[in-house]
Amino acid sequence: MSLSPSLKTPFTDFTGAVVSHQWGSRCRDMELKALDCLEAYGLTRGVTKCEDLITDFQECSLRVKEVSRYVAMRSERERQYHAGERTKENRYAPPPKPDSY
Amino acid sequence: MATSASAKKQDMPPEGGYKPISYKRIPAKTYFSGWALIGGYLGMTAAAGFLYYLNCKRLHRNEIEMRSGRFAIFPLLLAERDREYLKQLRRNRDEEAELMKNVEGWEVGTYYGEPLYKTVDKDKLIDPMMQGYYVHTPWKEFNRRAFIRQWS
Repeated sequence: MSLSPSLKTPFTDFTGAVVSHQWGSRCRDMELKALDCLEAYGLTRGVTKCEDLITDFQECSLRVKEVSRYVAMRSERERQYHAGERTKENRYAPPPKPDSY
Repeated sequence: MATSASAKKQDMPPEGGYKPISYKRIPAKTYFSGWALIGGYLGMTAAAGFLYYLNCKRLHRNEIEMRSGRFAIFPLLLAERDREYLKQLRRNRDEEAELMKNVEGWEVGTYYGEPLYKTVDKDKLIDPMMQGYYVHTPWKEFNRRAFIRQWS
């Protein structure tokens, strides 16, 4: 994966950390661990050695796998309904209480 | 030219002539003098201020009472909400197990067998997105909840 800008100038150094997850996001710790690892090993070795930390941070931040899960579940439910395996009453689950999330 | 023998009535001044015309000024009646007005204003302000002070004390006591009540029940409400949240997560997991039981390669809580995080404990609770909390319900229910977040 490409984790550094293609052209490194002082401007990319200044603006690299302007906005980050350290501002109270839920991915704060994962970002810190991944970047500490990268800083310890450098970029070239770090991309291979810290791969787990980096991919976990990316998953936390972008939630690609989580969203794919939901898409898969949703499309499976619709497929089951249109194939007749689910009745109209059974199509969806009862909704949760509105103030519980 | 009046004739002396005329019995015609004429509009003559009264006997002794007119009374003198009084041109003295008649100022408006003053109910309160200037100092009385100022003194009355200060007195009224003082009395009203005292009553306002008494009312302020009562309001303050009421506010303390309401705030104490809210502090007392807040943990209870929070606990209720958390319990309902966890119960719903369990219901979601069971629903997912039931929905995807015939899909090959699917394990509950993973994406076709791949866990979401590699460096995180399997016991750690990962809060789902709002879309994931409502994934087994019609879109209308999610929309209703998302509307609250959007407008608050």
